[in-house]
Amino acid sequence: MNGLTKLLGIDPEVYNQWQLHWSPEDPAVIYGVLGVVIPIALWFFWTSLNRVGSRSRKLLLFVLRLAAFTLLLLILLKPELEFRKSQTLKNSIAVLLDNSKSLSIKTDESPRIDLIKKALATNASYLEKLGQDFNVDYYFVSDDIEKAAARTVESLYQPHRPFTNLTRVFEELAEHYPRPSLQGVFLFSDGADLTQESGEISRNLVERIKALDSPIHTLQAGSNEGFKDLAVESVSASDFGFVQQPLRISLTVFSSAMGNRNVPLVLKEGDRILVSKIVEVREDTKRYEVELEFIPQSAGKRIYSLGLPKFAGEFILTNNEKEFEINVVRDRIRILHLNGRPSWDSRYLREVLAHNPKVDLLSFFILRNIGDDVEAPTTELSLIPFPSNLLFDDYLSSFDLIVFQNFKYDPFIDKKYLGNIRKYVQNGGAFLMIGGELSFQGGGYSRTPIEEILPVIFEETPRVFVDEAFQPVLNQEFSRHPILHLEKDLKLNQEVWSSLPPLQSINLGLTPKKEAHVLAQHPKGASVPLLVAGEFGKGRTALLATDSVWSWNFRNVGGGGSGRYFQRFWNNIIDWLIAEPETRRLQLESDKEQYREGEQALIKFKLLKKNYQPAVDTKVQLTLKSLNKESGPETELKTDEQGEGVFPFLPAREGFYTARIKADLEGESLAEEIMFSVLKDTAEFEKPLINEYLLKKISELSGGSYRILNGSDDLSTYQFANPDVRLKSHSRSFSLWDNWWAYSLMVGFLVVDWFLRRKSGLS
Amino acid sequence: MQKLFTIFVLVLFFVTWGKNISPAVAGYSSLTLPWIKYQGGNDNPRPDALRSLLAQVTRRTSIEVNREPVALNISDPDLFRHPFIYMGGDEGFDPFPEKDLKVLRNYLSYGGFLLIDDNSAQADSAFDTSVRKMVSALFPQNPLRKIQRDHSIFRSFYLLNTVSGRSIVKPYLEGISIKGRTVLIYSSNDQGGAWSRNKLGHWNYDVIAGGHKQRQLAIRLGVNIIMYALTLDYKKDMVHLPIILERLRRYNSR
Repeated sequence: MNGLTKLLGIDPEVYNQWQLHWSPEDPAVIYGVLGVVIPIALWFFWTSLNRVGSRSRKLLLFVLRLAAFTLLLLILLKPELEFRKSQTLKNSIAVLLDNSKSLSIKTDESPRIDLIKKALATNASYLEKLGQDFNVDYYFVSDDIEKAAARTVESLYQPHRPFTNLTRVFEELAEHYPRPSLQGVFLFSDGADLTQESGEISRNLVERIKALDSPIHTLQAGSNEGFKDLAVESVSASDFGFVQQPLRISLTVFSSAMGNRNVPLVLKEGDRILVSKIVEVREDTKRYEVELEFIPQSAGKRIYSLGLPKFAGEFILTNNEKEFEINVVRDRIRILHLNGRPSWDSRYLREVLAHNPKVDLLSFFILRNIGDDVEAPTTELSLIPFPSNLLFDDYLSSFDLIVFQNFKYDPFIDKKYLGNIRKYVQNGGAFLMIGGELSFQGGGYSRTPIEEILPVIFEETPRVFVDEAFQPVLNQEFSRHPILHLEKDLKLNQEVWSSLPPLQSINLGLTPKKEAHVLAQHPKGASVPLLVAGEFGKGRTALLATDSVWSWNFRNVGGGGSGRYFQRFWNNIIDWLIAEPETRRLQLESDKEQYREGEQALIKFKLLKKNYQPAVDTKVQLTLKSLNKESGPETELKTDEQGEGVFPFLPAREGFYTARIKADLEGESLAEEIMFSVLKDTAEFEKPLINEYLLKKISELSGGSYRILNGSDDLSTYQFANPDVRLKSHSRSFSLWDNWWAYSLMVGFLVVDWFLRRKSGLS
Repeated sequence: MQKLFTIFVLVLFFVTWGKNISPAVAGYSSLTLPWIKYQGGNDNPRPDALRSLLAQVTRRTSIEVNREPVALNISDPDLFRHPFIYMGGDEGFDPFPEKDLKVLRNYLSYGGFLLIDDNSAQADSAFDTSVRKMVSALFPQNPLRKIQRDHSIFRSFYLLNTVSGRSIVKPYLEGISIKGRTVLIYSSNDQGGAWSRNKLGHWNYDVIAGGHKQRQLAIRLGVNIIMYALTLDYKKDMVHLPIILERLRRYNSR
């Protein structure tokens, strides 16, 4: 070895082993070919030497040819010499200590973890002795593994981790040990793995156990005997619910050692009881599936709590209550669309509304007027009576938006119902009037509640409606208004508006009120408004003083465009009128909906002026308050040049929080509120029972053993194999064929062979 | 005197205003029914048909119409001002150039409506052959299909259970639908002939076999087709269904 290393110029102290490698790519073919070709070639060669008289020369020639073939064979088999350093590896034993919160649950007056601590203390000398032959590694395990020095285990071992997932534990453990150095595992746990169903073991976990390829001895901390508990174990509810639509939630109630009794389960929102149900708890049943149904009354993020009574002697009280959040939204936008007569304008708008999956459309077309002669009895007509009583009295509040399109109310709606519409808007409803001959003054709305709620005054004019081709002019002051956003980029948006086909009609005699927002107008100026938005009470109203917007759809297609911007325009109007969150001038949001305890929340806000331009350097007041607690202090903040701001907030404790922001801007008080939750990790207490089945199964599958800790456990009975495992640390290889001397030698043999053959008179 | 001056100023103002905003196209959103001009054949064999139908529409419904006849080529830049077009004929015609087919395909796919009317009153007429060739080139993957009786066309204004015309060559309509909307209707029954009336109010053509009732049903079908183009499936909204179904039950049982 030393001579060889010197010859190759490497340090013999560095390497303690060597090995020769043959590496043909397809050895079977090469061996087969060489096994046939070389003997035949040598035989021919030997017979060709018959004319050589000298036996010694004949023998020399044959040896030379044989040497050349041997070298060729070597080159084809690509021999490599590897020098390496390898060392004997000490085998390992892993001691896994479950540090999840469920270990804090008491069994026989002391927490489960105490049984483990006691077992470690009792067997300290055994474990120390084991350390002479093995690396004994300690890990705290829960949903991951954390290595701990042996001396620190006693002081650091606490049941504080929020989740148990043994599949991940074994997966990570396998990454720590090169096979087959891990010779055994001690798992000290209660087996309360939240990812495993009761009485089952997942396929993933089985695969991880098998991949570890080491016996796992499971040591169960405590038992389920006498474990008294009543819990809301799990809640299954959709993240979303719909206003005024029944919402169903499913939950599991867990009961252990509670005897036979009936317990009330209550679902509340704040202090208001929404629904309750009696759960008949029986001694021989552990789990009860319960379904509850209730109807959310208003939109927004809602926090609901489920509660069971707390009984004396229960091991865990925190799991008797459970809170959860549901985002209650409008299921669909309910729109009442009244058309004074069928027209292209109403036809294309109806198509947009009817095809919008968010919209629940109820439309009525006035198909005949009183003076029309249909020349048929009513029974041969498809016309139905207009249900004005139902629409404008009983069900008015159920609509999110009312649209009058070229609609004259008389004789279809009693004038008194116009007052109902005013009330509806005042209370937060939305109203849109679209132009035409039968709109505004032409519809007889002068000095009616409709004129009151719309952002314009109806002037007396001899011509209330004219056909007139014109290109609408956007009011630059409102260039950022959500209704006008056909494209996000302001410049591109302006270009899109300019590229739309001209409109062909305009309603006249409409004077914008003081607070009105004239978004678009006739080229003659703001005195001839086209698109005006406004607010009345808590609601929003708008008007479009033309019946030719359909040009932006069909005519635009004819000009090589599409109906995309027509659809977007109407969707923008609807979103703004019903005050969708993104159209509000004060916007508030948190970067997440749920935070973990100790995690910082970022509260973001945005403030826009009435014209939707950013409100720069403006004061806002932010208040954060936890549910059922006193309101926190008010924090004064300022908006940046984008009208935005961020407030970092570290919640003091778990629970649900409300962030409320207020701003006084342009003589108006704006306020918004959001909710978010800070979760304490109590998942470990939702399935608090010891999972004996799982621990038994793990030991059985891995070839280990299972035992229940009792406080005086002797672990010295566990024996582990300790095979010699060598590990290569580094190596160096030398090619024995791919070098100049191998090729030179072969050529040399052939040249001498040729020379001697010539000398011997052979060709 | 001051009062007179004020009135004079006001009158002047309104006159000035009227001049500044002058009508460009009368009744832009009102219904106009242009007929399509094409090469070969006879593209306007019933010159009074559309005016007569629009007169009936005005008389019977709330729809505002422009009665003046308008003729358009498919390639006319004004085509997309009129979402409803009518194509009549009683002779074979030249195939539409590919350029026109493309425009028409676009027109129908994105919101337009075409009513084709065979005015020859004959089965398998030359016009019928030309129409089928044209439609086949227009929508190769979407052939003409019979329109079912529960289609909105049969209940958009009148409740109908028959397909009429001047001559009932086929007791059904054919059509093409795209994404749930019928964009083309083809009648073989010379609807235009049944609608046509001269300026004195006399019917231009006798209906074959059915008399007054047949003509009335043809007019009702014409009104319904227009109503469908303007309101689409409005009459299939849930709010209408109970009443319509009850009336249909009674109507069909007669």
